[in-house]
Amino acid sequence: MNRKILLALSTALLMGVSSVQAQDVAKIAMVAELSGAGAPAGTNWRDGIKIAIEEINADGGILGKQVELPEYDTQTDPQVSRAMVQKAIDDGAFAILGTIYSGSTLVNMLVAQQSEIPQFVGSEAPTIVQKGNPFVFRTSSGAQKGVPALVPYFTDTLKAQKVGIAWVNNEFGKGGRDVFAAEMEKIGIEVIADVPSEQGATDYASDVAKLKDSGADAVFVYMNQEEAARFLIEAKKQGLSMPLVGEVTLTEAKVIELAGGAAENAIAHVGVTATATEIPGIAEFNEKFVAQFKRNPTHDAIKGYIGAWATKYVTEKVGEFDGAKFADAMKNLCLPVAEYPRMLLDTCWDETGEMSRPSFMVQVKDGAPVVIGTVPAN
Amino acid sequence: MRSLLRPFLIALLLLAAIVAPIGQGNYITYVLTSWLIFSIASMGLNLTLGYAGQISLAQASFMAIGAYTTALLTLAGWHWMAALVPALLLCFVIGLVLGYPALRVKGHFLAFVTLAFNTLVFLVLRNEDWLTGGNYGLVGMPRPDFGFFSTMKQHNFYYFTLAITIVAAAIMWWIVRSPWGRAFKALRENPIRAESLGVDTRRITLLAFAIGSAYGGLAGALVTPLVQFIEPGSFAVAHSFRILLMVVVGGAGFFFGPFLGAGVVILLPEMLRFTEGYYLIIYAALVILMLVFTPKGLIGVWDLLRNRLFGKAQIRADVKQEPTLK
Repeated sequence: MNRKILLALSTALLMGVSSVQAQDVAKIAMVAELSGAGAPAGTNWRDGIKIAIEEINADGGILGKQVELPEYDTQTDPQVSRAMVQKAIDDGAFAILGTIYSGSTLVNMLVAQQSEIPQFVGSEAPTIVQKGNPFVFRTSSGAQKGVPALVPYFTDTLKAQKVGIAWVNNEFGKGGRDVFAAEMEKIGIEVIADVPSEQGATDYASDVAKLKDSGADAVFVYMNQEEAARFLIEAKKQGLSMPLVGEVTLTEAKVIELAGGAAENAIAHVGVTATATEIPGIAEFNEKFVAQFKRNPTHDAIKGYIGAWATKYVTEKVGEFDGAKFADAMKNLCLPVAEYPRMLLDTCWDETGEMSRPSFMVQVKDGAPVVIGTVPAN
Repeated sequence: MRSLLRPFLIALLLLAAIVAPIGQGNYITYVLTSWLIFSIASMGLNLTLGYAGQISLAQASFMAIGAYTTALLTLAGWHWMAALVPALLLCFVIGLVLGYPALRVKGHFLAFVTLAFNTLVFLVLRNEDWLTGGNYGLVGMPRPDFGFFSTMKQHNFYYFTLAITIVAAAIMWWIVRSPWGRAFKALRENPIRAESLGVDTRRITLLAFAIGSAYGGLAGALVTPLVQFIEPGSFAVAHSFRILLMVVVGGAGFFFGPFLGAGVVILLPEMLRFTEGYYLIIYAALVILMLVFTPKGLIGVWDLLRNRLFGKAQIRADVKQEPTLK
């Protein structure tokens, strides 16, 4: 009996403590792939957010409250990610940043939606914003917007007649592949080789050989970071001569680090890149990130950074911590960089949570991604 | 005394399972529900591995078959209870069909055959988009509603799963104590002797495999309404290994082994989360330690302690006596 009373007392005490805390701080939950296949993306996402939260707290927090950033690791497992979003909400988070893998986001966004918690995600699969969930917002354009932006490069610059596609067979890769194939059909370019590979695959010898024999003028490579790096290494080994063009991941810092010299000359369209240092906000972020973490930030780091700052800007626009009002305010919202400098680029969301902003064409030269052109927002 | 101890302990465990989610948030309840579901899946594998002595690496694929069957039927408007029947039957039949040729081989070779089957199921689920939704999976399956009792709330769903688990456990209890169950054990201990006593070993093994598969299907059928989203990746080979780990860590061939094992594999990493970046490292190290020190699984710890503390029951001092039936 005594034990029961003790238990009740300590529970009450704990609850009391947490409610006192809750008045002083606002919690933003970071739910991401910190282990497993998604770790390269997840850790960058986390570190970008960390920098943003430090800046936000130095700036006076959100609505005068300091921001706390609890971390939740999904192990790149959709079911675990659902449990983690649930945990974050149980712990009293008012907004969620993550996840990045589309398969995870598709599961856990249902939980955030039920609790009316706004969620900024790093996922790019088209389906995410097509489910009518008003609480989910992207931090980069989905594949259905990003991939079409590549098309002029294939028609005008490369003047390709026949192309090959090398893609990773998961929801991310399939999403991008389907959009690309549809775009190619629309403009009359023939897809001559369509080569899917497994997530976590290590041997790309036959994939590359198939592409080499296909006679394609260029290859569209759409894979996650580690897979993309392995593909590039094999392509170099077999002397694949046609241009390799990707969307977002192919020229990322992590891929260049893993692939080394094999990444040379790879081209990609990226929503946002730390190498676009002619933009003052990005240059400043890049410097801070390198100083703090001793490595180059990837686009996921910038996406996380933007997600955290957007949470602050929009919450302060609304004037209170209210998920439903937050979601309303996000509809067709534009945050111009002149007024909201930490958004880094002029950023808009439509009524589904899809994002648009200017983007870049990037090529790897001398081991570093270099901006070779900009693409206006679409 | 001993005869009273067991029902008392079981009642205590049941009470603990009923009280566990009270006052807890949705997250803990969700994790506890996962624990029950994986207990059912590993109970099935325990029958195949622990009682009939066959290593199967296809349990996740049977979960997938159960999960997709219930998902497709409930999305088509069936009640979950109605969808459960074809799901279980399908798993049972596929278990028989797979087991018939597969069980001609044993041990490692059977493990490879079942591994291949698991990969095959994964590929079918991923590539047959028209039926399974491919990579995008299936989403929005309703949770069962019984009129007076809706399982939409996390707590209600937990109790619903608990009830199913108790029924499944009771049936398993009966199976391993039935003549079949005794035949399974005879088969594991000494197949030649079992055969010479007139046990049709092939039929009995096949039956154990098919029943074990149906338990996998039941677990899968529960995953569908729990997560309300299924995709092929959740049923890949890695998950079969996870279920195998549950059975081995808990104690293969012991009735309560799967519950303990699933507890370790599902609950332990969650409990260790406070160590943040280190939790998976600590978890893996703990599992290795457990397997080194208690190769019979955690249930074996009890035997070990009892022998240490009270000495081994020895009928004849000159004959080394080991427990042969568990």
